[in-house]
Amino acid sequence: MRALRQASLILLVALIPASLTATFHPRRPPWSEETLLPGEVRIQTVLAWGQDVQWIDARSAKEYEVEHVPGAILLNLENWDQLFPQFLDQWNTEKKVVVYCSSTACELSHEVAERLQKDGVSPAYVLKGGWEAWKSEE
Amino acid sequence: MEERRVISAWRKAPWTNFRKLGRVLVRIALVALFVFAGATKAYDPGAFAIEIQRYQIVPWMMGALVSVYLPWLEMLAGALLLLKRFERGALLVITLLLLVFTVALASAMFRGLSIDCGCFGKAFSATGTTFPLVRNLVLLVFTGILWMEYR
Repeated sequence: MRALRQASLILLVALIPASLTATFHPRRPPWSEETLLPGEVRIQTVLAWGQDVQWIDARSAKEYEVEHVPGAILLNLENWDQLFPQFLDQWNTEKKVVVYCSSTACELSHEVAERLQKDGVSPAYVLKGGWEAWKSEE
Repeated sequence: MEERRVISAWRKAPWTNFRKLGRVLVRIALVALFVFAGATKAYDPGAFAIEIQRYQIVPWMMGALVSVYLPWLEMLAGALLLLKRFERGALLVITLLLLVFTVALASAMFRGLSIDCGCFGKAFSATGTTFPLVRNLVLLVFTGILWMEYR
């Protein structure tokens, strides 16, 4: 019983700093999944850009071969050294770079976008919702 | 009779001390891990919310709530494990957290998700659930060792 009482108290007390974090922390999460994280764009915005988009597929080669956005270039962290030079050969600097992976839960697109910006390809946007967002609009 | 008791106690002393030292080390390991893990996640709860989302277990809103609450719970429980007054409650919270984390990791592994555990925020990023799962099982053994003190 003592352990339960103490545990309940700990659970309650932890709510205090948690509430402050939820209200004031500069890196607190957005409460709605619809809120865009830094660098993200919605599929509707990208489609509005028309032909001025260079799609980057951050998924595995296997997933890319099954299906990908027409004109997308495969570029993942796993094979970066091999794929990045190929991307540079094909990249038209006039086009906006948009990276996607499988879904919102996938972090790979953010990692690839970050790497692209580090290597001088800036800005590199991330498609909110990834491949799933593309398929739902198709 | 008294002599026999003294000799018996003397013979047991090294083993008893070894067990005491073991429990101290286990306690320190749990405190350090939980306080560190909580601190790294409290630094960037937004990133932690994304890590939670990758497990594909809870909706975004719930994951966001967990991301702001869990780090503080870890830090508080970890720190209170050092205080005699709250050690049972802290140990109970830590044990329950480890069970929840283990189930989540096992679930991700079973579904073939190739994700970062998210256990230490962005401090240590590594894809894969096997090592974190084994680590959690070891930590559960540690909690078991401490629970034995209350037998």
